[in-house]
Amino acid sequence: MLKKLSMAAALVALGAGAAIAHTTLEAQEAPVGASHKAVFRVPHGCDGKPTNVVRVQIPEGVIAVKPMPKSGWSLEKVTGAYAKAYDYHGTPTKEGVKEVLWKGGNLADDEYDEFVVRVYLTPDLPVGKMLYFPIVQECPAGAVERWIEIPAEAQSSDDLEFPAPGLKLLEKAGGH
Amino acid sequence: MILACSAWFWFAVAAFAHASLVETSPVDNAVLTEAPATFSMTFSEPVSPLALRLVKPDGSSTSLERFVLRDRRLDVGSPHDLAQGTHVLSWRVISEDGHPIGGSVVFSIGMPSATSPEAAGQIDWPVRTAVWLAKIALYLGLVLGIGGAFAVTWLGRSERSGSLASLVLLGIGLVGAALSVGFQGLDALGVPFERISDAATWQAAMNTSFGRTAVFALLASVIAILALVANGRRGRLLSLAALTGTGLALALSGHASVAEPLWLTRTAVFLHGVTVAFWAGALVPLGLALARRTPSSTGMLRRFSGTIPPLLGCLIVTGLLLGVVQVQEPLALFTTAYGEVFLVKLALLVLVFVLAALNRWRWTEPAEHRDPSAMRRLALSVAAETAIVILIFGVVAVWRFTPPPRALALAAAQPTVVHIHTDKAMANVQLSPRGAGQVEASIDLSTGDFEALNAKEVTLVLAHPSAGVEAIRRSARRTAGENWRIDQILIPLPGTWHVRIDILISDFEIVKLVGEAEIHP
Repeated sequence: MLKKLSMAAALVALGAGAAIAHTTLEAQEAPVGASHKAVFRVPHGCDGKPTNVVRVQIPEGVIAVKPMPKSGWSLEKVTGAYAKAYDYHGTPTKEGVKEVLWKGGNLADDEYDEFVVRVYLTPDLPVGKMLYFPIVQECPAGAVERWIEIPAEAQSSDDLEFPAPGLKLLEKAGGH
Repeated sequence: MILACSAWFWFAVAAFAHASLVETSPVDNAVLTEAPATFSMTFSEPVSPLALRLVKPDGSSTSLERFVLRDRRLDVGSPHDLAQGTHVLSWRVISEDGHPIGGSVVFSIGMPSATSPEAAGQIDWPVRTAVWLAKIALYLGLVLGIGGAFAVTWLGRSERSGSLASLVLLGIGLVGAALSVGFQGLDALGVPFERISDAATWQAAMNTSFGRTAVFALLASVIAILALVANGRRGRLLSLAALTGTGLALALSGHASVAEPLWLTRTAVFLHGVTVAFWAGALVPLGLALARRTPSSTGMLRRFSGTIPPLLGCLIVTGLLLGVVQVQEPLALFTTAYGEVFLVKLALLVLVFVLAALNRWRWTEPAEHRDPSAMRRLALSVAAETAIVILIFGVVAVWRFTPPPRALALAAAQPTVVHIHTDKAMANVQLSPRGAGQVEASIDLSTGDFEALNAKEVTLVLAHPSAGVEAIRRSARRTAGENWRIDQILIPLPGTWHVRIDILISDFEIVKLVGEAEIHP
């Protein structure tokens, strides 16, 4: 019995350890039709190497992207056309930032940092579903960590080796 | 003759060999978490499907009509409504030698059913016996009937003994050739005897290479009948044409006619058939003439014994050549069904040659001087030879059901093939050489709809968790277009391996294909 319990504890510890090592979002859920501050937590580099570049892909349906500058990193925004026009407080928006890059930094493997983007989650996004932000960490000498796996229908992020950070979409807040 | 020659080259162009199943997806006895989108089977040579059926866990079966042939691989669309439990994919295909092969792949979705549905692909003995008997009848007509007509017109001259016997044998051959088509159709489609009246059954057989053999056999037999009816020069020309037809009919289908190099093996089969028909076909008319002690029987005997040595040489050389091509390894004579049949044929041949030697060196000379006892003994010996020749037909007809060692070796030399097909992407992985050890991996990619898939990076991951082998990862390098290669990857032990192919499509998009590979020892 004790052995079973300790086994279970070990498994939980392993699972938790794995979860900590992943690049994740601070807030795990957010309502649609509202602005949202997405905080990406990067806990380590690529197999011991420091991280020099962090790239975040902005999923379709997420507009009005404003990344927060970081000292020691240069900011780059890749823009492009959306699949359709989104209504942003009465203004139809057809294009905008599709990828955010923080470059030229040096985040050591044994250090931790956060990268922040403020976005608007359009009401077109499916409530109750997960929204994923694929992230790529680039390190010296071509080393890369890609947190880009999106679970299939029957899977959860826990089944994946390199899950993309995601947040659960909630009903639009009422009242106004 | 010119017609025969041009027909010859036309047939010699198609270069195929006896097919064997190399790999399937899902692998046999696989337990899958989800229903597969497609089934795929890879053969050692190009094939065409004859009948594809899926037996469901409740025992009901559906015919699978959606399939794509891509060279050696057959992709079959899966029905969308597959339930949990054990399924049997029953397949039947035909290769260029005209021999249908079939089998079953058993797989389960979720959990294996408590009782498996009946596996198809079992041997239908009544049909198999019918195919065998019709084949013997075909040989009787092609070799003894047509050969007899040739002997009567060329060796007999004024001697007409054996005409009636040849006509009867030709009749047997005609019936055998016609029935063979129907039985071949039953065997090809894997359906029971009741379906013999179906037009589709006959159509299926005519679409195999055996259809050509049947057509040539029927034509040659009719020409041989005309040769017997006609007299003199015209009869001789017609019987020569019929004898050529025997060679063509035999060379147009069967294991030996598809072995490389084709020009050599097909020519050898042709010559083998013609010389057998010349030699064995002369036995019945000659034996009858000697038994009756007709006036011109001695002239016939002289002409026969004068022409036979070079022809017998040709018969033996072509026979040995084909034997070497098919058996390859002497050991295969004892380890394969094909080899065993070959040994039985050889044993019977030794008997025939002993009799033939006795005939030639003991009795031919006195018989030519009309010694009555020598003529009687010679007639008896010729009758015995004929009986053994018919036994040989029975033995040779068994080859229809035994793939030659050459084809078996060809199958063993094929790489291990893993085919994974999902909505997003499709990968065809070849691990060569076959079996465990140091292998080279070649990965061909396309999208789920067979469009070009331009990947950024490709990684192959192999694991065998039940044997305690954790993931072995190797990144592949692009060689050309959509082909990716890993020069060396070690598969430490045989068994069912998990195969995963990670395809990085863009910086932010990855597709992981998961499948299984059966690694042979």
